[in-house]
Amino acid sequence: MSEERVQRILLYCGVTGAVLFCLAPFGYMVLTGLSLRPDFLRPEIPLTLTALNFGTVLTDPSLHFLAYLRNSLVVSAVSATVAVLVASLAAYALTRLEAPGKLLILFFILGVSLFPQVSLVSWLYKFMATLGWINTLQALVLPYVAWTLPLAVWILYSYFTQIPRDLDRAALVDGCTRLQVLFRVVLPVAAPGVFSTFLLAFIFAFNEFLFALMLTADYTARTVPVGIALFEGRHGELPWGEIMAAATVATLPVVLLTLVYQRRIVQGLTRGAVKG
Amino acid sequence: MSTESNNSAADRLPPRERREALAFLLPVALFLGGLVLVPVLGTLLDSLHRDVTFLPRSFIGLENYRALSADPAFWASVRFTLVFVLVSVPLQVVLGLLIALVLNEGFAGRALLRACVLIPWAVPAAVSGRVFELIYNYSYGAANWLIQLVHPGAGPVNWLGTELGALAAVVVADTYKTTPFAALLLLAGLSAIPEDLYGQARIDRATFLQRFFRITLPLLKPVLVVTLIFRTIDALRVFDVIFVLTGGGPGGATSALSIYGFRYYAAGDFGYASAVSVILFFISLTLVVGYASLGGFGREAR
Repeated sequence: MSEERVQRILLYCGVTGAVLFCLAPFGYMVLTGLSLRPDFLRPEIPLTLTALNFGTVLTDPSLHFLAYLRNSLVVSAVSATVAVLVASLAAYALTRLEAPGKLLILFFILGVSLFPQVSLVSWLYKFMATLGWINTLQALVLPYVAWTLPLAVWILYSYFTQIPRDLDRAALVDGCTRLQVLFRVVLPVAAPGVFSTFLLAFIFAFNEFLFALMLTADYTARTVPVGIALFEGRHGELPWGEIMAAATVATLPVVLLTLVYQRRIVQGLTRGAVKG
Repeated sequence: MSTESNNSAADRLPPRERREALAFLLPVALFLGGLVLVPVLGTLLDSLHRDVTFLPRSFIGLENYRALSADPAFWASVRFTLVFVLVSVPLQVVLGLLIALVLNEGFAGRALLRACVLIPWAVPAAVSGRVFELIYNYSYGAANWLIQLVHPGAGPVNWLGTELGALAAVVVADTYKTTPFAALLLLAGLSAIPEDLYGQARIDRATFLQRFFRITLPLLKPVLVVTLIFRTIDALRVFDVIFVLTGGGPGGATSALSIYGFRYYAAGDFGYASAVSVILFFISLTLVVGYASLGGFGREAR
């Protein structure tokens, strides 16, 4: 057998393995959500498909699932927007204004992500309790913005450095202020990078668990990951069908975003990391 | 802080531009200062105090750290965290490299595969943790079903109820979630290797393995080190997956440092929990500095 052929066979084994590894747990989740009984893998149990679990999760008011979903979407959208705005101001200053100690600031911003999340929770809790914000959406938005800023600044920094400075000089000569230059020239030209950054910040906020666990108490502010993690049965036995139906609906927004914008996400991720 | 050369460079700037630069950096400084730096310094201070809910706060020096070092559960937690990092990070990087090598080849459906690989990354760890909890279900989960499918007659494995089973369960669930990230980073590194290097190697009749070990691996080293650093920092502070999957059990067998510390935060013993956080931070720092010097970043940065 030629080496070329061995390589092809290896390649297709790799592809099959990777697809199975990535999709099997996901498929199992969807199937259990759709199955009448969670133990359908037992040989003596037939697989009966039903929409019952999805119906319960979406309509039973005592589960509060739609409230969790709404909280998650609001918190993620707001914190991603704020993070992109704050990070683009910083990235603009660092690429255009020759801020003093530029590299120092960049590395400081990156170094912040060295701190373990668990080392922040007690002070965030005290802070939010003082403000009377425990169990509110803003108690999540603020730390999420702070926590995504390092990545956002680094990604936008790498995009902004590629935009020719003659572009914004021309705008300045025309009488634009710095802020106008940022919003009318730099951000539109860097739109793909801005969008990647927004997506990554959104997905991060949507997936975050520890802060949401500590800073929320019930459905008024609780997000989907915490809601699903704390999903317990009312009669002892865990209602796996409902949990997996909820998990399926919960992952739908992020999975759709990922599939539609995979190119943007991959670019953002690798820029933020490999440049560093 | 900033050096003298920086100051002189700043002095040459028009004062107006300097003011603007500071104004543009102010929001980032407020967010990172108020919501990261202050909490971290606060935690450092707390770790030197007896700070328990409903009790008066008092300075006790290193007493929390002394109590930590005397707690066998703390050492078990340190040991588990290091074992977890040592097992899961190499596994994730090797798997990630294999996936990246596949994705770097030209074949039909490559974009589709890349989309599949992103799915585990996009799903919240708390959610995939819950899925794995069902997969490891003793009586009807997919893991035991699969074992019986390949090896009929093999007894079901008590994944989440035994020490070794729980370690394996946690490692697999975390690997599922984090390998895509490693794969994407490594893919970016692979695609930066110039194609003509391989062409020359082909002319020289280098085999597939020779090409991999002589060209790919050496050129990929910087990206490999970066991937290792990212994965190690993340694995050291692992929380979501373990909290959902085992809650640190059975009997504290999978109680990673984040989980161990969180238990004390949740119980209201802030001083002691803060000491755990500080130690976790210093372990991260030590490992990152170690990796960075291994990767020779100090020399390259000049």
